[in-house]
Formats: sequence, structure tokens, C-alpha cells
Amino acid sequence: MSLVRAFISRACLTALLCATALAQMSQPPAPVDTVIKGGTILTVTHGTIENGSILIRNGKIAEVGKTVNAPANAKVIDATGKFVMPGIIDSHSHTALNGDVNEVTGPVGPHLLMQDAFDYTDRNIYHALAGGVTTSMLLHGSANMIGGQAAVIKHKFGLDRDDMLFPNAPRSIKFASGENPKRVYGGRNQAPATRMGNFTVQRAALQEAREYMREWDAYDEKVKKGDKEAKPPKRDLKQEALADVLRGKVHVQIHCYRADEFLTEIAMAKEFGYKIRAFHHALEVYKVAEKVAEAGVAIATFTDWWGYKIEAWDAIPWNPVISMRKGVRVAIKSDSNDYNRRLNQEAAKAIRYGGATEEEALKMITLNAAWVLGVEDRVGSIDVGKDADLVIWDRHPLSSYAKVEKSIIDGHVYFDRALEGYGLPFWKGGPMTGGGGFGSDDEYREVR
Amino acid sequence: MRATLTLSKTIATVVLFALPLAAQQSKPAAAPAKPAAAQAPAASQPIALRGGKLITVSKGVIENGVLVMDGGKITAVGPAASVTIPRNARVIDVKGMTVYPGLIDSRTQLGLTEIGAVDMSNDLAEPSDQIMPHMLVEDAFHAETELIPVTRMNGITNAVVTPSARNTLPGQMSFIQLAGKDRDEMLLLRSFAMPLNFTGAQRRRDGTPRYPSTRMGMATQLRQTFFDAQDYANKWAEYEKKNAEAKDDKKPSPPKRDLRYDALLPYLQGKKPVVLTAAEPSDIKVAMQLAREFKLKVILGEITYAHKMLDEIAASKFPVIVGEIYSAPRSGERYDSVYSLPAELHKRGVKFAFASYDSHNARNLPYEAGYAVAFGLPWEEAMKAVTLNAAEIWGVADQFGSLDVGKTANVVVANGDPLELKTDVKQVFINGREVPMTSRQTQLRDAYQAR
Repeated sequence: MSLVRAFISRACLTALLCATALAQMSQPPAPVDTVIKGGTILTVTHGTIENGSILIRNGKIAEVGKTVNAPANAKVIDATGKFVMPGIIDSHSHTALNGDVNEVTGPVGPHLLMQDAFDYTDRNIYHALAGGVTTSMLLHGSANMIGGQAAVIKHKFGLDRDDMLFPNAPRSIKFASGENPKRVYGGRNQAPATRMGNFTVQRAALQEAREYMREWDAYDEKVKKGDKEAKPPKRDLKQEALADVLRGKVHVQIHCYRADEFLTEIAMAKEFGYKIRAFHHALEVYKVAEKVAEAGVAIATFTDWWGYKIEAWDAIPWNPVISMRKGVRVAIKSDSNDYNRRLNQEAAKAIRYGGATEEEALKMITLNAAWVLGVEDRVGSIDVGKDADLVIWDRHPLSSYAKVEKSIIDGHVYFDRALEGYGLPFWKGGPMTGGGGFGSDDEYREVR
Repeated sequence: MRATLTLSKTIATVVLFALPLAAQQSKPAAAPAKPAAAQAPAASQPIALRGGKLITVSKGVIENGVLVMDGGKITAVGPAASVTIPRNARVIDVKGMTVYPGLIDSRTQLGLTEIGAVDMSNDLAEPSDQIMPHMLVEDAFHAETELIPVTRMNGITNAVVTPSARNTLPGQMSFIQLAGKDRDEMLLLRSFAMPLNFTGAQRRRDGTPRYPSTRMGMATQLRQTFFDAQDYANKWAEYEKKNAEAKDDKKPSPPKRDLRYDALLPYLQGKKPVVLTAAEPSDIKVAMQLAREFKLKVILGEITYAHKMLDEIAASKFPVIVGEIYSAPRSGERYDSVYSLPAELHKRGVKFAFASYDSHNARNLPYEAGYAVAFGLPWEEAMKAVTLNAAEIWGVADQFGSLDVGKTANVVVANGDPLELKTDVKQVFINGREVPMTSRQTQLRDAYQAR
């Protein structure tokens, strides 16, 4: 065999091996009746159950209490001396997007789908899972005033792509204002280079979409009335996505920092008749918390990250608790491949800064985060009927010393610290992708 | 942004040209023998903290203890029953509280940065050259930075301020106290140590590549620089010798002073420590080899991914400024490979301290130590690694790092375990005085909460 041919055949072999490795993703496991016994159960909605049990059936929480009616053949997970909480939900993540967080070629991109960049073999999904994260919302970055639509994933690391997507999660879209779009487009002498430009670009896009929506509404009306001659308007993915925003079919998630921006965004939502689901980062909400609460807008915020740019200069670590006390629904999120490995610690800081109760702090990374995603009826607390997404810790999760023992999704253990190697029962080996980058909207950390 | 950067470079160049003229006459500065705190004025009335749980770090934990501070020093520490509180002391009841030595952050940029994205508020490193040992933190240290009150409210009383790791040799470090009347009172040790960064981040690859744009270049440039500095030292030694022997009318003319080499020489002579900073085993080995060749006095920094060469590190006896332990694992590694590094170092008897490697959130230093406890480091060792070990590594253990009589009264009172996230720091004493428990952040909180 010539050298060249040997090389070619080796290349083929490598390609074949890679293909095999990729094809070796695990199948979703069949549901098994499982009972978690003997742990301290932090339900988040109805207090703490000491020495309690949880029965899991068909991947859902079937019973929870001091005792449960588990069948004799149920699989038993002994949680004696451990703490069980709902799986952590990261309401602002850019993990596993294969370096494609921002489509920076234009400030309006509502038709982009983050799912198209989702890299399901990215090891950052695993790292977060080992920190107790079971669900994440993967958002477009903040370069654009109107960014793409989010992908919501469950961290079932080792399964195929489609098996990791959160089934029927509501659609969310990312808006952003302030410094980031200013920097990106202003830096090229394009609009927006100011906050005036920010909101004018946004308003213009919404106006255009409103007209598009009216054209389609008129067409639909004609069809309804039996007009066989009616000609459909040209289909435009960009306008269609924004029209869905105006029709209230998409949750609007807005990246912004300053008090004035929240008020501007609330006013614009009113003007165009859509609802804002949550402000993200939202570091100055403590200044106008009553108004944000009144508008029914939640926040997905950091506890103590600050000072990385001017619009983060007035950030204070008491923001989550002050805002919460004034009626705002507060979630704490990671926005990073660093913090998403220890969101329990970020939540614990809400106790230290402002005196949140343990349950309030836990809610910020579970139920309130679920609300931001619009999946609060399915995950985020330990309640009967919800998905069995649970994390077992070696001690109370709001301690510096807490470690995840097991992360359970839909009733199956996807991370088990006690296992050799990675601790991943469903990962079949082969190369994991993904880098160690910070993976954030705001990569302003100093070079140390 | 580009335009601003160019402008700032121009200004820096002008200043660089101006400096040597002024400095030419002076001889290389010797290492200061004692931290400046020794001369700081003392508080007038003794303060006694009574009834707290004293975490001395050096001599274990004393339940129901008493600690007395006077003249800026700790004057008594012990069980309540055995300590006599001076009659004129102000007694503060700290029952139910923990009392522990002020924490030391072994690598920050406090005082060199204000707002990350605002270039003009940053003095992190000179970008025009790699070899910048003559850049001195004390020349940029902004004592009034808003970051310091934020940091000290979490019990951090001392820190090693370091230029950013943009250059292999970005400049010399200062050991600071996080309170004081002005910069002179806060800069306890100036130019007392120097980082040597070898992580790959120093390669000049932005825009048109410049030398050194590779690790080969970085290492070679360092070697050449060290040889040149030794050469320079030899020339001066030769001159001094000739000068001493020569008759008055035949005195030789001195060689030209070079600030770079003057700054480097104490390090090449092993008089001051070099902090070899590298994360990957391959880089750590190159840095250690350089250190051996030039007989540097070594402290290791970061060593984030050194799991497979820990025995070699232990054998070197070099102390380590570890971290930050939140760095992501590399491909092929288990999720906790970095979290467990401190525990692995401890098992091998390596002396190490933690550092935040951060500025705005240097306040999270104790939580980093706490997380290392979760992954196997004994709690006592974690406490040491943010106090006494740091003081020992930096050569200031006679004054800092534990609750011991005679040490500077940097003392923290909190409502629980210092390393626990939920613990609230109630009062910080620096140099025996109560530090105001306020910051720009508490002012904002109070202003808006009241509305």
C-alpha cells in the first residue's frame, strides 16, 4: 500500500471512528419507578420535609411527603443525610452555542434560532449539570437590539440533540439595549451608537412588523370571508418573528442595565402591545423596583457582579432582595460557563446581602427562573405532577461546602459523583467539544 | 476606542522618556526591611473584643475568648478567663460572633482599575513592551478607589496588587493595607515581588504579530534579558572596583544607568521573589526551568492544570498562589479537576495561599477557599491559605495572618464561619481601628431603599 493510500485509509478510519462516536449517543431511557428516600426535601413551594421521600413515575414526581406508596420493585435512591432540591434552572445562558452567540451583521435578527447553533456535545453542559443545573435557556447575545430566539435545553448530557431540547418550551426572544449594541454598531459608525439610536432602531423594527402583521391579518380576513382571489403577502421570516412578538406568542427577554432603560422598555411594550417577560442583568432594578413589579416583569440578574462597564457601575449585591421585597419576581442566572457551575452559591449570596430566607434564595434559581422561561408549571419545584428534575446534595445547597451528589432529569440520574471518570452514566465516551471560555454577554473581565 | 488607546500610548511614551532623567542619579533601591505599617500612628484607646469565638489560625479556635488591640497591635488573645482587659479599654461584646485575622488576597488589581470597559480608569499594564520590571504598582495605585471599601467589607484587609498578566514581566507588586489615610499609609511594601507570566496570553498576536508572538519567543526574550541584566551588573561591579582603586584624578566614568536592569537585579540576585505564573504543565515547566537557570527565588502562581505534575511541584518546595479554582477544566478532565487542586497540594505538603485574581469581586476570596473545602481541603488549611500562609509566603508573617500578640490588629468580626456564603461581616478593624462599614454600594442601597 502506498503511503498516500495508507494516509487516505487512515483518514477514512478516523472519520469513521468519529462518526461512530457521534452515533453512540445514548437513547433516552425508559421510565422506571424510582423512590428517593430519607433526604431533607427542599420543595421550594411548600417548605422543607425532613427525612422525606419522593416517588418518581413516568419521569414525573408522583408523590412527595414523609412517606410515599412506592411499589416493591421501585428503584431506590438512598438520600439519608442528604438534601434534595429541584433541578437548578439557568435563565440566562450562552453555553454550548459553538462560538455563535451573536449574529453581529445587523441590529435586528428576530428570525435567528439559537437551536441552530446548539452544540449538544459541549462539555460545558456537563460542567453545569455537575453543579446541579438541569435546564438552561440559551439566549442570543446582546450585540443586537433584537436578537434571535432562545433554545431551552435539559442537561441530559450524553443523549442526542433532539432529546436534550425541552419539549414544547415556550418561545423566547432576546432584546438588548445599552452599551453592547452601542459598542458593536457605533464602533462601525452605524446605528445604534447611542441609547436614542438603540430605541429608535427597536421602535422602527416593531413598526415595520406591525405593518407586516396587518397585511397578513387583512389577507387572513379576506380568506376567512371566502375571497378566492386574495393574494398572500410575501413571507418574511424576520417580520414573521416580530409579528409573533406583537401577537404575544413569544416571551420577550430584555438585556438591559439602567433604571431609565427599564422604563423606556416598559413604555415601548405598552405602545406596541406586547408583554415583557423579564429584564436580564437588570442591575439597577432596585432603583425603580415598584414600577418593574407593577409591569409584571421578572428579572434575571447577577448577585454581585459589577463594575465591568459604566452601566454596571451602580450595581449592588442587595439588588435581588430589595427588588424582591418590592414585589419583583427575581431569578439569579449565570450568563457564563463559570457561574453556571455554582449557581447555588450565587443564590446563597442573597441571604448574605439583604437577608433572603433559604426558600426565597432557592426560588431564585428554580421556580422563579422557571417562570422566566415560561415552564413554571412543569419544573422548578418539588410538586406532584412536575418533571422529576432533582438534585441531591451532600449538605444544604446554600453552603460554600455543598457538592452535588446526583443530578436527576425526568427521573433518571444524568450525573452521579460516585461514578468513576466523568460521573456521566449516559455519556458513551468520545471527544467532548467546547472551550473553557467565559461564554458571556459581557466579556469584560480584566486580563489578570 | 482605538483613538483613545493610541492617545494613551503616546502619553505613556512621553512619561517614559521623562523618567530616566530624573532617576539617573539614584542607585537601585534596596528592598524595604519592614512594612510601613510599623510606623503608622496608633489608636488612642485600647479596644477589647469580648466573648467571641476566636479563630486564631496559629493556635486553633478559642470559644468565649477575648482579644485586645492597642496602639494598632494585638496586645492580648486568649480565653475570657485568662485575659485581663485593660481598665481604660472600650469593651465590645462580640458574643455569638466569630473573630478572625483579616484575610489576605494574594493577587488582585485593586487600585489599578475602576471600571473594566473604561480604558482611562485602568492602569493595568503597559502594552508597549513585554519586559517592564521597572513599572511599579505604587506609581499607579489609586488609594481612593471605590473597590477597596467594597472589598474590605468582606473581611479582606490586605492584598498583593499586581499588574495584569498582559506581559511576561509587567512590573513589580505592592503589598497593601485596605485602609489608611492616604496611599503612603496603605502601601505597606513597595516593589517587593514581581510576577513572571508564562501562560500564552502574553504572546503578541493582536494585529500584526510582534516579537514575541510565540512561547519560544517569550522564553528566549526572557533569557536574553536576564543575561543582559547580569552583564550590566558586571559592568557596574567592575566600575565600582576600579573606582575604589583609582586615584582621585583618574576616576573612571560610570556606566549608563538602565532602569529596567536596575529593577531586575534584586530578582536575579535572589533578594526578592518572582511569582512564576503559569497554568498548563508545559508552561509551568518552562517557567521553572528559567527559574533554575537564573537561580530565582520562586513563588508559583495559578498552576491551574498542574494535576499531573504535583509531585514535581511538591519536590521543588516552591510555595504556590493557587487559583482561581473556578477555572474551567480542560477537555478530557473531570468536572472537579480544578476544584480539588488545593486539596491535592495540601496532601503533598505544598504551602499555598488563595488569591481572587480579581478586583471588583476580590471580596469573594473566602468563598473560593470554602469551595476548596467542599472538594477535600481541611477547613483549617483553607483558613490558613487566606491568612497565615499568605503572610508567610510574602514574608510578613511577623505582622499579619493570625491573631497573635504583637501582630498588626487587622481583625474581622462576623456572624459565622468566615468561609460560608451566608456569613455577614459585622465589623472590620484595620491597624486596630474600626473601618467604616460603608461603601459606594451601601450608599446606593440606603439611598434607594428609603425611597
